[in-house]
Amino acid sequence: MHLYIPWLIGAALAVLALTLVRRLHAQAERAERHAFEAEQLRLLAEELRGLSDHAAMAASLARSLTPIAAASPIVMLLRDQLPPANATEAVHLLGETDANQWEGLWLSLRRGVAFGPGTLRHEEQNAWYLPLRSSSDARGAALLPLDLAPALTRRAHAQALCDQLGLALERAATERAARRSREAAKAQGLRNTLLATISHDYRTPLATIMSAASSLLAQDEKLDARQRERLARSIVEEARSLSRMTDNTLQLARLDGPDVRLACDWESVEEIIGAVIARLRLRGAHMDAHVRVKWRLSPDLPLLRCDAQLLTQAIDNLVDNALKYADGGAVEILAKREEEAVLIAVRDRGPGVPPAWRDRIFDVFRRGPENERPDGSRGAGVGLAACRAIALAHGGSLAYRARSHGGAAFEMRLPIEEVPQ
Amino acid sequence: MIQVLLVEDDRELRTTLADALRVEGYEVHAAASLADGLALLAHSDIDLVLLDLGLPDGEGEELLHKLRKKNGTPLLVISAREQDGVKVRLLDAGADDYLVKPFSIVELLARMRVALRHRGQHVAAAVTRYEQDGLLVDLAAHRVCLNGADVHLTPTEFKLLARLLRSAGQVVTHRTLLTDVWGAECNEHTHYLRLYMGQLRAKLEVDSADPKRLLTEPGVGYRFS
Repeated sequence: MHLYIPWLIGAALAVLALTLVRRLHAQAERAERHAFEAEQLRLLAEELRGLSDHAAMAASLARSLTPIAAASPIVMLLRDQLPPANATEAVHLLGETDANQWEGLWLSLRRGVAFGPGTLRHEEQNAWYLPLRSSSDARGAALLPLDLAPALTRRAHAQALCDQLGLALERAATERAARRSREAAKAQGLRNTLLATISHDYRTPLATIMSAASSLLAQDEKLDARQRERLARSIVEEARSLSRMTDNTLQLARLDGPDVRLACDWESVEEIIGAVIARLRLRGAHMDAHVRVKWRLSPDLPLLRCDAQLLTQAIDNLVDNALKYADGGAVEILAKREEEAVLIAVRDRGPGVPPAWRDRIFDVFRRGPENERPDGSRGAGVGLAACRAIALAHGGSLAYRARSHGGAAFEMRLPIEEVPQ
Repeated sequence: MIQVLLVEDDRELRTTLADALRVEGYEVHAAASLADGLALLAHSDIDLVLLDLGLPDGEGEELLHKLRKKNGTPLLVISAREQDGVKVRLLDAGADDYLVKPFSIVELLARMRVALRHRGQHVAAAVTRYEQDGLLVDLAAHRVCLNGADVHLTPTEFKLLARLLRSAGQVVTHRTLLTDVWGAECNEHTHYLRLYMGQLRAKLEVDSADPKRLLTEPGVGYRFS
């Protein structure tokens, strides 16, 4: 018996060695597979980062799953929110399903769990139903058809791939929601601004009109001719400023819209400025506009492709603004040709805009104590904002420049286009 | 006394305008509806019409069409509607002017004076000689004089001036001017109009940016005042 001992030991060692080698082989194979799977995950994640289109995302996942599946995988993902009832239009579906598979995908999506062999749920299925899990809930589901003897160990990897898409969809949904709320906030912001404008800017002139008109009516015999004239004049001027504000508010709301259409034609700068001057004349002696406003137009002005009424409105606003803030001094309208633009400037020698205000004068003011002008006069409100919106709508610009020897210059530049023959 | 028909459905505005016009010496016939306006037009000798567009029983435009079938009585539209399309359409249909509400009495009176000054001129086809404020235009002889001095106009400039003179006091739309002076195939070529109008002003106005005769209606057309 003892004679066999060495042989037995040898055989045992041989078996041990063989086992060890096999184990090493298996370990190497597993390591290789893990490396492959990790690489596949990394590639998928990278690919998904560049995609925002649902169809492309689904296709990308399907490609990654194909080596594991016995036939083409089916991918279903939510377009947006989870609908209360299963609905075709709520999802993007890659591949074709029968009624059973359709229900299975939705069930996996809604419950956020996997079905099929090895999952302890619906073991009888010859496919895996895998949810596309995000950090909070499932954003879709994938169906992997399986062989008769599936490699159950591959499910974890398949699930990891599916979760990559789930996370990518979650990211896209978050971005979409953020964009939506930004847009809503912008629309809401404009609406609020307009409402604030109407409530503040409109009430002020209305208050003057109301008090002046009711004074004329109730105190007529106590007023002398000069007082009556002053009241009547303030009614006319405040009504005019209301009318101007209405135009500006409407224009601002219109130009802020998504599909602005301008009534562009070939226009002469001289005529547009001429129309502004004609309007000033109609205002008569108010603010001495007819003597204070001068103009200087260079003779080589090209025609502009623009909306004449809008541009007239913008320059008219700038002149009105200058008349108000120039301390009774002269206001100059200047037009000249620059290299690629026509410069239309409205300038004065008044106190100019204080530095702290320069960045904000083109914003539609959100009214509040911190926004009141120190001197108690009214802000430009929607006027300058409308001017800038008009300049921008024409592909031009409007900027404030403090003049070197004092005073304000509002400079509008409008691009020159080639006039047809 | 000059007879004015005022068609305006808003009571406050109608009363205010009627009073203001009476103070200026006009005889005012006020109507609050299209039907009233048409009746007054048929039974009175009207010299000038002020017409609102949206009336309770129809569009003021209808009155303009009926009036233009009969004669060239000056008609000024007064409306809160500002779309260019409407303005151009009504001017092309024969309205003399278009005032957007709100407007001042000063502005209304000024526009009425312009319309009345040239009253009848554009219907009297025989008028070939125009003389006003130092400007003399002899359409038959193709001659233009400014303050006694001959002014040389190119044939196109002359045609443009003659066309505006034919509708003196009225706003003539871009399209109409282009069609009548350059031909229907050019009715989109607004840039021709801008250039020639600039040249014409340079010859006939003291300051082209502040014209007294050849007036601009931004986005709509021109008017010889």
